[in-house]
Amino acid sequence: MVRVKSRYLLCEVNVEDRSHLLLLDDRAVAVAVKATVARTHGDYGAALCSIGFSVKYLNAHTGIVFLRFPKRCYRILWSALPFITCIETRGQKVPCFLNCLHVGGTIRTCQKFLIRYNTQQLHRMLPKCKNEEEKRQVQKSILNCTITRGNRDESEDDSESEEDEEE
Amino acid sequence: MSAAKVKMREKKMRNQPASVQYASPPQPADSSAQRNAPVAGGGGGDGGPSGVHPNTERSKNPQPRGGWVRGHQRDGGGYAKEMPKYITAGAFAKARESEVRAMLKAATKTTGSCHVFGALPKHMRRRAMSHNTKRLPCRLRDVANRMREKSLQAGSKKKKEEPKCKSRKARRQHGNLLLEFNRRQRKNMWLETHIWHAKRFHMVKKWGYCLGLRPVYKCYRASYRAMSSHCLLQDLSYYCCIELQGEEDELLAALSQLSSKQAGPTFDAALSLSGQRQGSLVLYRAGRYPMQPLGPVSFLWRPRAQGSSHRQLWIWAHPTIKQDLLPELQAVCRCSEAVLPPAQPAATAAEVDAALEPKPGKRPESEQGTGAKRKQTFKDASEPPAKMILGDGTRSPTTPLAWRSSSTSMVISDLTMEIVRYRLIGPQSHSVLVETMEAATDCDGMDGSQLPTLWWPEHCRNQSHMDLHRQQADVFHLLKGVSSTGELPSGTVLGLTVDDPRLTLPTKKVKALPCVKQEQGEEEEERRRRELMLRGAPAHCSQSSLWERRVRDNVTDNKMPNKLLNHMRSELLAPGSRLSPAPPQGRVPVLLVQQPGKQVYRGVRVGGLAMSLKHSQNKGAAHFPHDYPDCPAGARFQEEQEAELLRKYQRYPPAKRTNYIKHGCLAPFWCPWQQLAEEWELILRKGDEERRGDEERKGDEERRGDEERRGDEERKGDEERRGDEERGGGEAEPRRDGAVTTLPVRVTVLRNRKSLRLLSGWCRPTTSKGQRAPRRGGAAPLDRSAVTRFLSAHGTSLVWVRLSVLLKGRPELHAMVCVPTADDLKLPAGIGPQEPPHREHFRRRKKGFKAAAASPSGPNPNRPAPEGAELCPRAALPLPHPSGVWPDPLPSVTAHCARVTLGWVTQGDFSLAAGCGEALGLVSVAGLLHTLLLQPAARRGTLLLRNPDSLHYRLAKVNLEV
Repeated sequence: MVRVKSRYLLCEVNVEDRSHLLLLDDRAVAVAVKATVARTHGDYGAALCSIGFSVKYLNAHTGIVFLRFPKRCYRILWSALPFITCIETRGQKVPCFLNCLHVGGTIRTCQKFLIRYNTQQLHRMLPKCKNEEEKRQVQKSILNCTITRGNRDESEDDSESEEDEEE
Repeated sequence: MSAAKVKMREKKMRNQPASVQYASPPQPADSSAQRNAPVAGGGGGDGGPSGVHPNTERSKNPQPRGGWVRGHQRDGGGYAKEMPKYITAGAFAKARESEVRAMLKAATKTTGSCHVFGALPKHMRRRAMSHNTKRLPCRLRDVANRMREKSLQAGSKKKKEEPKCKSRKARRQHGNLLLEFNRRQRKNMWLETHIWHAKRFHMVKKWGYCLGLRPVYKCYRASYRAMSSHCLLQDLSYYCCIELQGEEDELLAALSQLSSKQAGPTFDAALSLSGQRQGSLVLYRAGRYPMQPLGPVSFLWRPRAQGSSHRQLWIWAHPTIKQDLLPELQAVCRCSEAVLPPAQPAATAAEVDAALEPKPGKRPESEQGTGAKRKQTFKDASEPPAKMILGDGTRSPTTPLAWRSSSTSMVISDLTMEIVRYRLIGPQSHSVLVETMEAATDCDGMDGSQLPTLWWPEHCRNQSHMDLHRQQADVFHLLKGVSSTGELPSGTVLGLTVDDPRLTLPTKKVKALPCVKQEQGEEEEERRRRELMLRGAPAHCSQSSLWERRVRDNVTDNKMPNKLLNHMRSELLAPGSRLSPAPPQGRVPVLLVQQPGKQVYRGVRVGGLAMSLKHSQNKGAAHFPHDYPDCPAGARFQEEQEAELLRKYQRYPPAKRTNYIKHGCLAPFWCPWQQLAEEWELILRKGDEERRGDEERKGDEERRGDEERRGDEERKGDEERRGDEERGGGEAEPRRDGAVTTLPVRVTVLRNRKSLRLLSGWCRPTTSKGQRAPRRGGAAPLDRSAVTRFLSAHGTSLVWVRLSVLLKGRPELHAMVCVPTADDLKLPAGIGPQEPPHREHFRRRKKGFKAAAASPSGPNPNRPAPEGAELCPRAALPLPHPSGVWPDPLPSVTAHCARVTLGWVTQGDFSLAAGCGEALGLVSVAGLLHTLLLQPAARRGTLLLRNPDSLHYRLAKVNLEV
């Protein structure tokens, strides 16, 4: 209804060397995006990018990034994303590109998509496992990914106990 | 962001996943999983559309931090080591898994609002859901139930604070009301007139009683008028009565240890011993006469019975004295055996007797009917049903009330709360009494058989009793003719038995005025009245049945309830006429005691404690316990008062507080009597030494150098005697070492009559002595040798003085009494000297301290005067020391201001009686004499008064009353 609307882009950072992924942090990503937008769209783009843009989430292990753009200009900004070739972080340049997986109106939809996407990935990974141990691990992970009754109760109990402590 | 907002945000973001990266503090669940992840697995499974390439061979260590590291990366140094070199399928899967879990948590949990209903879309919310949780969907029901319980609990907590279990009607029912009253009486004793007072007075809890402080209506002046021209009634039942029984000589021998003849008539004064007069005196601890007083008491002997030396003595004392007095009495009488109370607890036995003390006065006019009315109401309040607690409700029934001596026949019993005592102040008191009470009608006509338990019919059968009663009634009738109570000798006692005053109540309010005119014709009457005025009531008339416990109990138990009385009244034929055959129960023995007092007062109003303070001030008498700093009770009172004043002072905002340091007032809330007395002694001694050529002197004493020196020269040739005197030598030595602490030596107030008389003579200016001079021919004139002799006896004592301000000014509590210089006396009377404003040295030091304390760690303690805290001997004071008051080790109290301090005022106000400011204060005897010596004879006895919050000195006249 009445609120500032924005678009959330669920992107995946692809790097050559997986270990480079661990170097990433949200600030570096934000700087890289801003720089690219400024390069491609000039001052106008940089200005658009200055308000309402932020990196909401970054997982250095999986390379998942949530980017938030203002809704009215997200297309322009999005169009600059393919031009990111490297992210400078901690004194070194990590060559990479961003692959946009999903565009959502709320973080929540992005999260939901991410859940689906990740489980899908794991499912795909399962038949390709080379040895038993791997297979077992992946299976376990897949099992953990689904919400079971036990899981949920556990998590709920946690949250409720926290509430009680607060009050 | 405010704290609340932060909290809200935290709550909202609780379930949201944080970024997983090495720089920022990782989520505990994820990171632990991740760090342990690099297992020694082989080549990772290739897979995933993301194109994960498990290049395990490449071991490219990330470089340690470059120049780009920000400060916020706290554990930035650690990541290089922890970064895994390989990627495996397991690690890959685990990373995905943990992310999914985090996302799941975030996506399934409702964010933000913690309300249950927030989880529901708006169109599904219903108002009724809040109290009927079954209307909610199943998944929300549990949470909603829990929240509902919580809110209910919170509500009930509030309700517990004000439980109103019963309706007002139920609470006001007689039985319940009584239970409630009895419960409330357990902590503090209630007087019998408590309920009457509680409706009209501000009550205070003091000394274990609930007492009326002052009426709620404005009555300051009205009370004064009542005292001065009509009659003021006070309930003094809270005074404790201690009864001593035993052989006369034994009693006197025991009691003589407690008092001294030097301080006035004692227990064995002939008039009081016969029972004709009430006496009063100050008691001391046994054998310690000049030191350690206990406090003032009044006493009354029961008149002798023929042929028996067994006597009864009542000692009336203030409740604060009782706790000290009772053990002392037990010690001197060697009465240690506790007599256990009889089966009935003492709580049910109490008296409805009225020991009424009229006060004298002169100007008669005021309405009297109200007085009678009030009296009546008092009686009502005191008439209890059997259940009601009378007497001391706080005492446990097993506490012994009487002690018997094993060796002698003496018995001490505690009659507290058993006898009601009212005080009538004012010239019309007699008229009020005469109107209110009528001597009991004898009930010869009654046949005694019907009510054998009542005391009066029994009493009537004895002819000698009846004769006595008739005589007493005669004397009482004579009182009608006495125009003012002041005309009777003070302390006169008259025993009497009267009808229940409720029966003789006039139907209309009428003024009680003295009826002097009608009776003047009869010469016989006139002669007897004059005799009464001169000699008081004859001894046998002061006998009363009030002395006998049996009669007291009987009267209390058989009191007729109001209800019955009203019923009888309603059955009368002519409405409004008197109940003619008085019911046999309604006889009350009373003792009328004439209280000495010279002030002019009267009106039946009812006064509270505050008024009794004012009364004693107008009388010019010391009020207990305010003005007795040497008694233990007085010392306790002073401490309480100090704490209270300090609390009040601190309630003011700092900008509105008087800065007492700048006013040069060392102790605005209490009076360091001990220090004062010691310092004055020191000053005098120092003067002696100085004259001998010993030139050391304190810097602060230089200010009054010449005055001091003059004083020293006058005391030439006396120092040898002073040196010999063991008291001065023994006590002053340690003090000069600077040990001004609370030595066990306590201050004493001078009560030696002879010395007081001498001193009071010296206080008067010689010119106005006039006719007094011949009377005091024997008294020594004021000169050095006389002063020295006087000081050798009473060097460290204090003495009460009355100060009346000469022109303007209203002395307040703890105003300073100072010595005027010679120049001050030359000033016109209205203009007193000014004190130069003092500087506050503490402020700067305080600031320095604060800065010093703030720069190291830890917040500064909020005590603003740390230097006081270090040295404070009275550190037990619960309140932090406020600014604007001297911190504790006081400097020299005498020499702090431009004028030398002599003492302080303990009560002072504008006196309506005198028409000027008047004060009662205590001054050091040494200082006073020293001052008087130096003053010119014509202006002798003029001192300066300065209020604690003023810089202006006012001239005041000293008056010392014996």
